Amino acid sequence: MRRMMAVCNKELQAYFLSPTSYFAFAVYVLMTSLLFYSSFVYYQPSIVDYRLVLGDTLSMLLFVVPLLTMRLVAEEFRQGTDELLLTSPARVTEIIFGKYLASLAILVVLILCSLVYPFIMSFYGTLDMTTVWMSALGLLFLGGSMMAIGLFASTLSQHQMVSAVAGFIILLVLWMLDSFAGNTGSALQQWLDPFALTNRFDSFMKGVLSGPDILYYVTLSGVFLLLSIQIVERKRWR
Amino acid sequence: MLEVKQVSKVYEGQRGVHQLDFTMERGEIVGFLGPNGAGKTTTMRMITGYLHPTAGSILVDGVSVHEQGQRVRSKIGYLPETPPLYPDMTVQSYLKFVANLRDVPAREVKLRVSEMVSRLGLQGRERQMVRGLSKGYKQRLGLAGAIIHKPDLLVLDEPTSGLDPNQIIEIRDLIRELGQNHTVLLSTHILPEVSTLCNRMLIINQGQLVLDGSPQHFGSAMGDEFKVSIEVKATAEQLHNVLTPWEKVRSEVIQASDANTTKDTSSTSASATTVKMLLTGENSEDFREELFYLLSGAGLPILEMKKENLSLEQIFLKLTTTEATDTDANSADVDKVADAEMDQEDVSSDNDLSSISGTSLSPSTDASSHSRKGEDSK
Repeated sequence: MRRMMAVCNKELQAYFLSPTSYFAFAVYVLMTSLLFYSSFVYYQPSIVDYRLVLGDTLSMLLFVVPLLTMRLVAEEFRQGTDELLLTSPARVTEIIFGKYLASLAILVVLILCSLVYPFIMSFYGTLDMTTVWMSALGLLFLGGSMMAIGLFASTLSQHQMVSAVAGFIILLVLWMLDSFAGNTGSALQQWLDPFALTNRFDSFMKGVLSGPDILYYVTLSGVFLLLSIQIVERKRWR
Repeated sequence: MLEVKQVSKVYEGQRGVHQLDFTMERGEIVGFLGPNGAGKTTTMRMITGYLHPTAGSILVDGVSVHEQGQRVRSKIGYLPETPPLYPDMTVQSYLKFVANLRDVPAREVKLRVSEMVSRLGLQGRERQMVRGLSKGYKQRLGLAGAIIHKPDLLVLDEPTSGLDPNQIIEIRDLIRELGQNHTVLLSTHILPEVSTLCNRMLIINQGQLVLDGSPQHFGSAMGDEFKVSIEVKATAEQLHNVLTPWEKVRSEVIQASDANTTKDTSSTSASATTVKMLLTGENSEDFREELFYLLSGAGLPILEMKKENLSLEQIFLKLTTTEATDTDANSADVDKVADAEMDQEDVSSDNDLSSISGTSLSPSTDASSHSRKGEDSK
């Protein structure tokens, strides 16, 4: 546990010192505020509903998450610091979870940033606070599983850019899964639908806390974390 | 303490290490030598649990590295060839991180960090970014990270590479000090380092152990005889007359300089020539005293007398090149490596093992490397 926290702390320090994370935050805030402007301020009459803004800004995560996770493991391989981690008493599980925990902490900061928009909206009418909080929670689950995927992509290469691109592609495929099979209603489509990343988010936006949807995100994170652990562990067998 | 049993490592069809077998006792400082690509780093990585062996097992205090990795790894301190540092961390935060990672008790972390800082001479740099440290300080910081949890076994991969002579001495002193409480396995390219630091050395070549023993006893271990080189003020003929009846010593003239051939006639009489000679005893018995009286009795003054040791370079060359001559393609490379290492030796401060003429080597090994060696020593 202490070793996991040590790794987590180290990653948080790295986040606050690395220009990439500031860049990612800047991109996220810039793009979401532009979208906020276009869907709330520019589009008249303004509708005081956070979900309209959130729906638009959601896809920004696709770009920001790989930027935030690409460094996590790839950089260790590149710097040779994996030799320190893998020869320490820490288990690979602890190392990966420590890193994941740090990325979740960053995600929370990111979500807090995006809560600025409902805060601004609340001056112009009454917001349905339940949906706001539920959306934020949904964002945590969605973003959390995306972070796990990004972390997995980071174990695939020692080059950050390769990791980022790999992460982006995996996320994009999962994101678009519901529109892949083309016409809705086909058997394949019905089979693929439940696995799409964003479909599960709708229930949160409706203010519904649904067990299967939470389970989906948790399982997705779990699977990719497990894969990450396996890939790092496999390095010992090279 | 450490048992390496029949360990092999195969890299995608390519053999890294083949059936390595050795043990280390508590308190030993063992030097690990070998040409580049011999498998030193691979072996060290397997001992520290970074790599798993393809076959065989490694036990630390009777516990398998492979099966109970976590338990074993907490007993090992490891400094890889390039110290594993995070450029964006400060010296202090790095040490704190490593201490936490390596299970230093929480309440001791602060104490241990400051202890390491002062022990490795990092004072005043606690808040400096690792990125800005010089190579020597990075090496020290890496070493600090490797010993912060007081490991039983310390594995150091070329701890002195890339350091200046002063730093090398400091790091060596530190390793010697560490060797009092820890068991140390260190690999190096600098051969004299082994004889000054280690009480045992292992030479590995092409993934196989070719020698295991103490560097001090290598002369005899290699079937060596007692050798003395002398310079005598006499003609070669005079000296020959005196030494030939003396049966227990074989003599061989290295250089005979005749004063008459030089232009300088003012200071020398006709008989003033000097002869340099290499004398080899039948066994390891010291015959220097006897030699002194023999020559002084004959009225031949000894100008210089020096006991010759079979130097580590020669042992190293002998072991690693004869192995390599089996595969001709490699032998050139190995020679090159050995040469490079000898160059490196000049940088180091120890010259107690200054190389001697290649002719002193036993005739059983291949001639090419020796003539090369002879050139070097000139």
